[in-house]
Amino acid sequence: MAQAALENEARELDGTGWLARLGFEERTWRGLGLLAPAILVAVLFSLIPLIYLVQISLTEKSSFFFNASYTLANYREVFDRYQSTIRETVFLATVSSLLDLVFGYPFAYILIRKVRYREFARTMMTFPLFGTLYLAFGLFYILLPNGPFGSILARWDISLAPYLFSLPATLFGMMVFTFPFMVMNVGAALSNVDPTLEEAAKTLGAKPWQTFVRVLFPLSWSGVLAGFLMCFGWNLGVFVVPLLLGRPQEQNVISVVMYDKGLVQFNYGLAGALGVVLMALAFGVSWLSLRLSRGALGA
Amino acid sequence: MSVSTASTLSAEARPSPEPRRWLRPGAVIDVLAHAYVWFWLAVFAMPFLATLFYSLQASGGQGGFSLDAYVYVLGSFKDNLLLSFETTVATIIINLLIAVPAAYAIVRYPIPGKSFLLSFLNLSLYTPAAVMGMSLVIAYAYLFRIPQTITGLIAAYVVGTFPLMLVPIIVALRDLPITFEEAAKTLGANRAQSFLRIELPLLGPGISAGILLTFVIIFNEFLVTLFVAGPGTTTAALRVYTLTRTAGFQPSTAALATTMQLVSFLVVLLFFQVFGSRYLKGTYLI
Repeated sequence: MAQAALENEARELDGTGWLARLGFEERTWRGLGLLAPAILVAVLFSLIPLIYLVQISLTEKSSFFFNASYTLANYREVFDRYQSTIRETVFLATVSSLLDLVFGYPFAYILIRKVRYREFARTMMTFPLFGTLYLAFGLFYILLPNGPFGSILARWDISLAPYLFSLPATLFGMMVFTFPFMVMNVGAALSNVDPTLEEAAKTLGAKPWQTFVRVLFPLSWSGVLAGFLMCFGWNLGVFVVPLLLGRPQEQNVISVVMYDKGLVQFNYGLAGALGVVLMALAFGVSWLSLRLSRGALGA
Repeated sequence: MSVSTASTLSAEARPSPEPRRWLRPGAVIDVLAHAYVWFWLAVFAMPFLATLFYSLQASGGQGGFSLDAYVYVLGSFKDNLLLSFETTVATIIINLLIAVPAAYAIVRYPIPGKSFLLSFLNLSLYTPAAVMGMSLVIAYAYLFRIPQTITGLIAAYVVGTFPLMLVPIIVALRDLPITFEEAAKTLGANRAQSFLRIELPLLGPGISAGILLTFVIIFNEFLVTLFVAGPGTTTAALRVYTLTRTAGFQPSTAALATTMQLVSFLVVLLFFQVFGSRYLKGTYLI
């Protein structure tokens, strides 16, 4: 038994197995064999569908499924009639991610430097991660005139109802959903910053804001950037938050329009073109964040 | 500042310190800082608590609480919940079968172009859910001929979440010294024995983290489902969405949404109790 294992080892070491003759050494082939199911799934259900999406975006309406007639009209329509949709999507994603940064940075700082109940905070932070659907549902109820705080706020003549179906409600919903991603990234960067550096700055006479601008922020810059791009990437694909909390005419995002055009009106060509635009935006952001972070796994 | 440091030091040195000065500037800032954290933690939990509150309200009358709405959860929503559990469990099993060997190959074997390959396997993580849904609708109808089936649903879930299973297992495997395997080999174990009896048990926390991530995401997934599912394959999360869109704001929908969040939260709590958050670093959660 041990003998066999050793022989096996020896054969692997000098790479004289039959697989080695195909170019790679034998261990490489075995590794690729172990990876085969993963690669197969990614090719069949991720790569091939996305290629179809690009192809269908170049065909007219639903002609792809019958006899495809190729055209660039879908893209022309996207950039003429749906330019405002693209702009609105990017605008919402940018502003909500900036809000995440403004409110999430202090949160992460306090969490890393001052808080002992960090585990509890992490547990509570999983609530938004259960998804935008429940989040939007709950916020919708809170904003209703007869919502849970309705009677209390009415005493001070405050009503949340005007904020239902509005830009602030949409931004707030998107921001709460991605808040944990910002905290996670900034927190990871801040926990690598030695607290003695802040003390040194203080000893040398820096005011708190000077310490922040010249020491803390530059040292946590990588986390800020990674957090912003991650929030932005998630918020680009936003669907249910503007649908429930926004005004349909104004907070009109790519995902929603794509669903309407594709699965309600069966204009697959146009839906495909909108999908390709959204995909290009999302992949661009992911590429940027991978470039800047040099791969989170360092593989 | 130096004064306050000195007082804390003396307070540590003697068990019965002089009365502490609560109104020093540092204390005020500390209180504000903790209040800030608690404010946001309340914001995170608030949508859930509001939904819970609404689901418990007695129908029709003013005030009063009842569990009436939860009758629907076990009644007309039962099939949706069962389908959600079934698809989630099936996805977790398939994810494990795919991700464990893949993670092992990535960490232990010389694979050319490893970082490119990892990015490629993560392709679906970078794809917005609606884009993934739309592209799968096309591929299912045109190529695979499985539109609106459970097979299609599970395939969509697997491709969307197996990278999330991969990451914690890779992290756990990197932490595991190769000497364990070498020792097992020296003692006469073949590769399968050493994997099943040495490495798999030691990878437990990493694998559990992957299971947790898959569960939390798939159990609550509604967007890809909205594109891919048909009339007979409505999961509980999708039911929440369609009811909200078609039937308005109903206590029964709130009850289903509350149940889903409660189940997810209990699973997360259980995981944090047993394993802590260490193996979730660098993944979707935390």
